[in-house]
Amino acid sequence: MSTETNALDYNGRSRVFKIFSGLVLTVFAVIWVVPLLFAVDTSLKPEGEIAAHPTSWWSDHFSFDAYHKVIDGTPILTWYINSFIIATLTVVLTVAVSSMIGFALAQTRFAGRGGVFAFVLAGLLIPGQILALPLYQIVQSMHLLNTYWAMVLPAAAAPIAVFIFESFFSGLPRELIEAARIDGASWFGIYWRVCLPLCRPAISAVSIFTFVASWNNFLWPLLVLSNVKQMTIPVGMSAVSSGFGILYAQLMATAVLGALPLFVVFLLFQRHIVQGVARTGIK
Amino acid sequence: MATTIIDDGVSTSAATVTGRRAGPRDEHRAGWLLSIPFLVLYLIFLVGPAVYGIVMSFFNATTVRPGLGKSVGFDNYRSILTSSDFWSSMGHTVWFTVLTTPPLVILALVLALLAERVHRGKALVRFIFFAPFVLPVTSVTLIFLWLYAPEIGLIPHWFETVGLTPPNLLGETKWAFLSVAALTVWWTIGFNFVLFLAGLQEVPRDVYEAAAIDGASPLRTLTGIVLPLLRPTVVLVTMLQILASMQIFNQMYLMTAGGPGTSTRPVMEFIYDTGFSDYRAGYAAAATMVYFAIVLVVSVVWFLLRRQSNKEVGA
Amino acid sequence: MPEGSEDRSIAASVSRRAVLGAGAGSVAALLAGCGSPVATGLFGAAPPTHNLTYWNLFTGGDGDNMVKMETAYRRAHRDVQVDATVLTWGTPYYTKLSLATSGGAPPDVAVVHLSRLDTLTKAGLLSAMPTDELSAAGLPSDKFTPAALRKATIDGAVHAVPLDTHPFVMFYNVEVCRKAGLLDASGKLKPLNGPQELTAALRAAQRVTGQYGGVTTVTNDPSTNWRFFATFYYQLGGTVLADSGTRITLDDDKAVKALTFMQSLTRSGLLPKSVDAGGTTSLFSTGKAGFLFDGEWQIPTYRDTPVKFDVVPVPHVFGPKLVAFADSHALVIPRNSAMNPERRAIAMEFIKSLLDSSAIWAEGGHIPAWLPVRDSADFEKLRPQANYVAAATAAEYDPPGWYSGAGSQFENIVGAAVATSQTTSQSPAGAVRAMRSGLQPYASAIPPVG
Repeated sequence: MSTETNALDYNGRSRVFKIFSGLVLTVFAVIWVVPLLFAVDTSLKPEGEIAAHPTSWWSDHFSFDAYHKVIDGTPILTWYINSFIIATLTVVLTVAVSSMIGFALAQTRFAGRGGVFAFVLAGLLIPGQILALPLYQIVQSMHLLNTYWAMVLPAAAAPIAVFIFESFFSGLPRELIEAARIDGASWFGIYWRVCLPLCRPAISAVSIFTFVASWNNFLWPLLVLSNVKQMTIPVGMSAVSSGFGILYAQLMATAVLGALPLFVVFLLFQRHIVQGVARTGIK
Repeated sequence: MATTIIDDGVSTSAATVTGRRAGPRDEHRAGWLLSIPFLVLYLIFLVGPAVYGIVMSFFNATTVRPGLGKSVGFDNYRSILTSSDFWSSMGHTVWFTVLTTPPLVILALVLALLAERVHRGKALVRFIFFAPFVLPVTSVTLIFLWLYAPEIGLIPHWFETVGLTPPNLLGETKWAFLSVAALTVWWTIGFNFVLFLAGLQEVPRDVYEAAAIDGASPLRTLTGIVLPLLRPTVVLVTMLQILASMQIFNQMYLMTAGGPGTSTRPVMEFIYDTGFSDYRAGYAAAATMVYFAIVLVVSVVWFLLRRQSNKEVGA
Repeated sequence: MPEGSEDRSIAASVSRRAVLGAGAGSVAALLAGCGSPVATGLFGAAPPTHNLTYWNLFTGGDGDNMVKMETAYRRAHRDVQVDATVLTWGTPYYTKLSLATSGGAPPDVAVVHLSRLDTLTKAGLLSAMPTDELSAAGLPSDKFTPAALRKATIDGAVHAVPLDTHPFVMFYNVEVCRKAGLLDASGKLKPLNGPQELTAALRAAQRVTGQYGGVTTVTNDPSTNWRFFATFYYQLGGTVLADSGTRITLDDDKAVKALTFMQSLTRSGLLPKSVDAGGTTSLFSTGKAGFLFDGEWQIPTYRDTPVKFDVVPVPHVFGPKLVAFADSHALVIPRNSAMNPERRAIAMEFIKSLLDSSAIWAEGGHIPAWLPVRDSADFEKLRPQANYVAAATAAEYDPPGWYSGAGSQFENIVGAAVATSQTTSQSPAGAVRAMRSGLQPYASAIPPVG
């Protein structure tokens, strides 16, 4: 990545190509940026001006009025807290259970390991939200609807996370574990004190992926969180946004506020997040 | 919970020291104890729904009441398989997949190849394309509802600027598909883009050098060397994309609610409408199972393709 | 641990507590006091008593009026905190209400359409309101519009407190009708009876406007299509469904007769063949159509425009007596095992307060179902609302069925078929066949409730 040599062209004709590439990329980048900029722009304009000049980018009276109104008029702050707690609990639980079984599958030879492995592998074939309906019935019968656990527990049953950990733990040298055994460490001790600290990249990949997925989940919380104060950001926004009717500044302020937390997190940890996504996808 | 394992482990492990078969009993127990928390969740929340879905599909189960209700045999399947609403929603899902997969794979690949070529600003480009992916779906749809708004939206305005009559972007079936597909490309292309960038990084440097020494043209290098090496990534991205697009619900529900009428309603929304809005849980479970079977076939194809392409690259 | 003899719900709650207790105790103690959303999220606890949750689906003018009515309650009951939530209108609202109720976290009070009441009640989602409870709360049943109260009564028990009746009505442009000679000496529309008189009036109006005689939305609005059709079809005495929707009782002759008359209006250009909601508003508000067939809830829409209009019930084109298609908003208390008598009393008091302020509600065009307000001198003076009070007495609703009601599949199916006839792309008989075949899968399915 950091090399100065051109990746595709070693023949000295790269200048034209480079300019061409730059131009095309710029055009697309502009297209990609416009929706976000226009949303932010609209959210800062007074409603009256939007009605009079809906497509104008400029306003003489930019202000944060719409943001004040959204924050005062909706439980958006509660939704932030809900989303944050749910996503955090999901990450902690997912990392805990999937790293444990990942370690067990990679480094211990228990009877039935092959069977468990195949059993979990088959789970990769079960696609995400298609089974929402029977899952809803199960969660309902457990009396978990309208609690955070309706979100957290099903999300932690993620076979993909198991395989990320499994492949990472498999890469650790067997001698390491043998040495720890000689020192008298328990299996849990080996997992917790020896191996887990070595697989930070896997932890961060799984954590990031799980957090973003939980934060942005829509269909499932739409079903299980019907109490307005219990809702997460995406569902809460969709539930009340109709109340704004055609108040576009407030609608755009809502959109921006909903996007803001993850956007800031992404700005701060861009490299980690992108690497995490790449790792999760490639494996 | 887990702390109890430690004590047990320590007491027995002291006796075992070396060898592959050392301490099988305690290793056996540790393996299971570490596996059980996940397996319990997995059984209840993933395998459970699959099994329970099959059971439900043979009953007149009702969403608003617990229990299964009256057994109806294959009636639910009979009416799902002959339901034109179900099959047209399946058609909408497939059409959406056809509309979104090519741009999301090809455009993402092209952008990644181009981004690979530029020296400066790569991080910025990556940021711009990937940033929409972290937005919640509701933010995305609110923004695009505003951009698409008839008469006052930015996009109809652009149509007018270039002298075209702006179509009814969400009110007309043909355009509604395209509008939601465009939104989806904008929103999710960053994910594929990043996967392709990662795949390109795995192409060894010396391959390029060898090509350069042989005097291969850039185009030749691309088609003859880079793309074949990238094949596993292309297969992966394509299949992940097909599986993702096949599950379309969120954007469509929030943008058109399946309308006008039910002319854009995807199959996931059909299940939502019948299972939750109409309370017909058993009937919707049968629809779920038919849909599940179809997606399963796609998943299995992916599995086989991936194994094959990994083997080829490995060899 | 108790033996295996305990019942399922206890077992479930024990297992839930075990799950919840596992890691969350300390976190929750840190994050929240009792009764906060966080505590509810973690432990599923009920919200505190002096906090009334209220759901409705009103936006725009109705939404503003409802907020005023809530404010009136708040002013009188400063100890009760009302959490009012406006949710997306139509099926999404009912889905949300159903899931919330079956999930054990319903609002304390909710607005529903009476056309949806039958299904909600049969699904076991609503709590009945015994007559003595209603009387004790100051809501005796003889103080409601009888047609609405009848619709609110399922299997002999009242399940909803009607707030209004909102009929499908006829708007007319006063200036256009004056020029067309359709007004009487006092400036009111002369009565129109029978198909010929209505057609002639539309033609006279068309000569004045130079464009259309009247307008009603055809495109992308199945509910309006259904309401327009139902008005005439009900006048002929037709019915559509029976036995909770499991039987189609559509009368082909009557349906064809109604549709033929309606199609004659679009075919002859008296009404536009193809116009969406925005187009309808624009045509009537700019005087390009003299009559408008729509719900009275559109009154606020046209108040903001220069058009001078009045509203009357849709003329009885067929049959001797007035029949008006209508629906009603009503207030319900969803079933909730966590609701104690004290909380329920607060809910009833809130409902009573909304009814008492239903003069505000009437501003939106609706006819209050609460007779003390409807028969008040203030309402008598309210124009044009007082013109069509008769429509509330003559109200006919959607047929009961698990797939019918405001914004339902039933309205979509029948409305879409009506639209094909109105655009003249299909014959009235063809449209009736389409209705029948569209309804058939629903009628022959095993009903999920009931």
